[in-house]
Amino acid sequence: MVVDLDTCTGCEACVVACHAENNIPTAGPDEAARGRAMHWLRVERYWEGEFPDARLKFRPVLCQQCDAAPCESVCPTYASHHTDEGLNAQVYNRCIGTRYCANACPYNVRFFNFFNPQWDKPLHLQFNPDVSIREVGVMEKCTFCVQRIKAVEQTADAEQREMKDGELKPACAQSCPATAIVFGDLNDPESRVARLFESGRGEKLLEDVGAQPKIVYLKRQAEV
Amino acid sequence: MSEYADTLVADLLRPLVKTSWRFWTLVVLLLGVVSLGVGSFAYQVNTGIGVWGLNSPVFWAFDITNFVFWIGISHAGTLISAILRLVNAEWRRPVTRCAEVITVFALMIGAMFPIVHLGRPWLFFWLMPYPTERQIWPNFRSPLVWDFFAITTYLTGSSLFLYLPTIPDFALVRDKATGFRRRLYSILALGWSGTTKQWHRLESAMQIMAIAIVPVAVSVHTIVSFDFSMAPVPGWHSTIFGPYFVAGAIFSGIAALIIAMASIRKFLHLEKYLHPVHFENLGKLLLLMSLLWGYFVFAERLTTWYGNAGSEMTVFWQTQRLSFAPLYWTMVVANFIVPVTILSFKRTRTIAGCVVASFGVVLGMWLERFLIIVPALGHKYLAYSWGSYRPRTPEILLLVATFGAMVLLYVLFSKVVPIISIWEMKIGEHPKLAHEQRTRDEAQAMWRTQP
Amino acid sequence: MTAMYALFDRPEAAQRAYTGLKRAGVATRDITVISGEPFEAFEFSHRDHSMILFRLALLGGIVGFASAVLLVRGTELAWPLVTGGMPIVAWWPNLVIIFEMTMLGAIVTTVISLLATSGLPSFRRSMYDPAVSDGKILVGVPVAAGGASDAIKEALSTGAIAVKTADF
Repeated sequence: MVVDLDTCTGCEACVVACHAENNIPTAGPDEAARGRAMHWLRVERYWEGEFPDARLKFRPVLCQQCDAAPCESVCPTYASHHTDEGLNAQVYNRCIGTRYCANACPYNVRFFNFFNPQWDKPLHLQFNPDVSIREVGVMEKCTFCVQRIKAVEQTADAEQREMKDGELKPACAQSCPATAIVFGDLNDPESRVARLFESGRGEKLLEDVGAQPKIVYLKRQAEV
Repeated sequence: MSEYADTLVADLLRPLVKTSWRFWTLVVLLLGVVSLGVGSFAYQVNTGIGVWGLNSPVFWAFDITNFVFWIGISHAGTLISAILRLVNAEWRRPVTRCAEVITVFALMIGAMFPIVHLGRPWLFFWLMPYPTERQIWPNFRSPLVWDFFAITTYLTGSSLFLYLPTIPDFALVRDKATGFRRRLYSILALGWSGTTKQWHRLESAMQIMAIAIVPVAVSVHTIVSFDFSMAPVPGWHSTIFGPYFVAGAIFSGIAALIIAMASIRKFLHLEKYLHPVHFENLGKLLLLMSLLWGYFVFAERLTTWYGNAGSEMTVFWQTQRLSFAPLYWTMVVANFIVPVTILSFKRTRTIAGCVVASFGVVLGMWLERFLIIVPALGHKYLAYSWGSYRPRTPEILLLVATFGAMVLLYVLFSKVVPIISIWEMKIGEHPKLAHEQRTRDEAQAMWRTQP
Repeated sequence: MTAMYALFDRPEAAQRAYTGLKRAGVATRDITVISGEPFEAFEFSHRDHSMILFRLALLGGIVGFASAVLLVRGTELAWPLVTGGMPIVAWWPNLVIIFEMTMLGAIVTTVISLLATSGLPSFRRSMYDPAVSDGKILVGVPVAAGGASDAIKEALSTGAIAVKTADF
C-alpha cells in the first residue's frame, strides 16, 4: 500500500469507510474523552511553524502489516501472527486480551474492546456480514480488509485468472476522493503501487524501530 | 538446654493455642477488605476492562504494576532463606520461615494478576501448554508464556521449600494436640517420626532446594522484566532491565520481610527470638540493596540522557520534570534518600528505624513499577497518539485488597503454623554439642541465644 | 513388632546407650534413634548418609530438560506459525522455557525422592513415643518373643529417664 501525503486532504472519508466496512463501533463522547476511540485508520494532524506561516500536515496511519512485527512475537496465544501472504493476522477467537501487542506496537494502531460494542439504533442494521463483531476483551486492528482480499482471490480462482491491478481495494482506498491511498501487488512492476513506489518520494514510517513496515508514504513534493 | 527448649516450644506454640478477640476482629476486617477486591474483579469481568482507567495507548497500568510489585516482594523470602542457609549464617534461624511465608503468599497474589488483567479472563488457561482440540499450543516466544512457566516453577519450588522444614514442627504439634487438630496435624506431618535417616534426607532435600531455588528466583523476576524489555517501547527496551528488576525485587522483599518480622515480634510477643541484631543485619542488607538500586537507576538514567534519542528523552523528561515528576522524586526519596540516611548509622538502625525505612521502600518500589510502565506507554513514537492515565475506583480497590489479602494470609498462617521454625531454633541453641561441655556464655557469644 | 526403647534427655546419654547396644551385639540397622532435632555431632547420627537425593535431583533435571526441548520444538514444528519475523523454532526464547522446566524437574524430583526415601507419608505404626516432642531422645531395638537380653536391657537403662516395651 502506498499513501500519498501530497494528495491527502485530511477529509477522513477513509476513516468513516473503514468504520462502516469493518463494523467498528463508535466509542461515544465519554469514552473518546477517556482515550478509547477505536479508529483502525486514523488521520494524524500535525501543526508546523508559527502563525502566519503555520502549516497543517495530515498523515493517515493504519496497521503497517510489519514483516518483523513486534506485536506478533509477544502474543501468548498466537492470536497475532503472520500469514503466508504477508499480512499480520488478528484472530479474534484466540485473543484473551493481554494487550501486550498494543503496547509493543510502535504505531499505536491496535485497539481494545474495553466494553461490549454498542450501536445506536438503527445503525445495528447496517453491519457488514463478512466481518465478525468483536466481543469485550478482544484486540482488533486494520486487516487490509482481509474479507475483500479473500473475496477477490476466490473470484479470481473461480474464473481461473490472476487478480487485476486495482480490482482489490480496501474500504479506505475505495473511498478516498483524492486517490491518496493506493493498494496493489508490489511484485507486479506494471501496477500503480509499484510505479508510485519507484517515484523517489517514498519513505516508511518509523523505519529505524526495525519492525519492517510495508506501507510506503510518499512525501509532499515541497519536501522532496 | 531442655529448659530453653521448653520455653521455646511454649512461646512459639502460643499463637496456635491462644486466640484473642483481637485476632477475630482483624480477620473480619481483612476479609471485608479482600471482598471489596473480589467484588471489584467480579464487576470488571461482568462489565469489561473499561471500568478501569486504561485507554489507548496506556493499556497497562495498575494491573501490571501490582503484578510486578507482588512478584518482586516474593523475592526476599526464599532468596534470603536459601542464601542464608547456603552460607550457614546462624542468625537466619528465626527468620527463615517468616520469610518463606512472605514469598509463597506474595507469589500467589502476584500470580493472580496475569489472570485478572486479561480482557477475557475465563480463557486464561490458554496460556498453559496442554493438548487442545484445536491442536494449537501457546507461543513460547512470548514473554507472557515465560511468565507462566517461571511463576509456576517458582511457586511450586517455594511452596515446597516452605513446607518441607515445617514437617518436623507439624509432628511436634501433632504430639501435643488433641481431637480434630491432632488429626489435621497428623496429616500435615505425614507420619514423621524423626529417625536419623529422615533427618538426613530432609537436610539433603533442603540443601538441594536451596541451591535450586536461587537461580529460579533470579530467573523469575528477570523474566517478568522481559515483559517490558522485549517490546520496542521507548524507555522499556533497555538491556539493564533484567538485573535492575532482580535487584529491585530483592530490595522490596527485604523491606517486606522487615515489616513482617517487626509485626510478629510485636503482636506475637517474640522479643526473645527476634533480636535487634536480626533487624540490624537485615537493615544492613536493605541499605546495600538501596545503594544497588540507586546505582542501577543512575546508570540507566545517565545512559539515556547521554543517548539523547528523541523518543527516549520524551519519556525521560516526563519523569524528570513534567507530569510524573512529583511521583518520581517521591520514589527517589522513599527508595534511596530515606533508607540510606536511616540505615547508614548504627544509632538509627534500630528496629523502628528499619521499619520506617522499609515502609518507605515498599511505597517507593510500587511507584517505581508504576513509573516504568505508564509514562513510557503514554509517550511512544507517534506524538499524535500520546495519552495519559488516571486510576479509577475498581483498580484502587483491587490494589488495597491485595495488601489486605497478604496480611490476612499471613495472620491465618501464623495461627496455624509456628511462625518460627522450632526444630531449627533448637539446633541453634546447641549447634555443636561435642563431647566437651560448652558454657552458656560461649554459646551466647557465638550464636546469640538470648536477646 | 515388639520393641524395647529408652528415653533420654541428653544426647550424651543417648550416645552411651547406643554404644552399649552396639557392644551388646545389636546390628546398626536394628537400632532406631529418634529425636525432635538432628544431632549431627554425635556418632549415633553418623549413619544413613546418602547422596541418593542429589543424584535423583540431577536425573529429575535431565528429565525436565528433555521434556522441555520436546515440548517447545515439537509444538513449534507441529503448527508452524511465523511471528515477528522470528524462526519457527526460536532457540533463544525456547531456552527460557527449557531452563524453567529443568529446574522444576529437579525440584519436584527432590521432594518426591525425599518422601519416598524417608518412608513418608507413613500410615503404618512405627516405633515412636510422643515424649520425643518434649525433647527426649528415643533409642530402641526390636526384641524377640523371648524378651530382650540382659546386655540390651543394661545398655538401654543406663542414664535413661524411662524404659518401655511396646508393640508397633
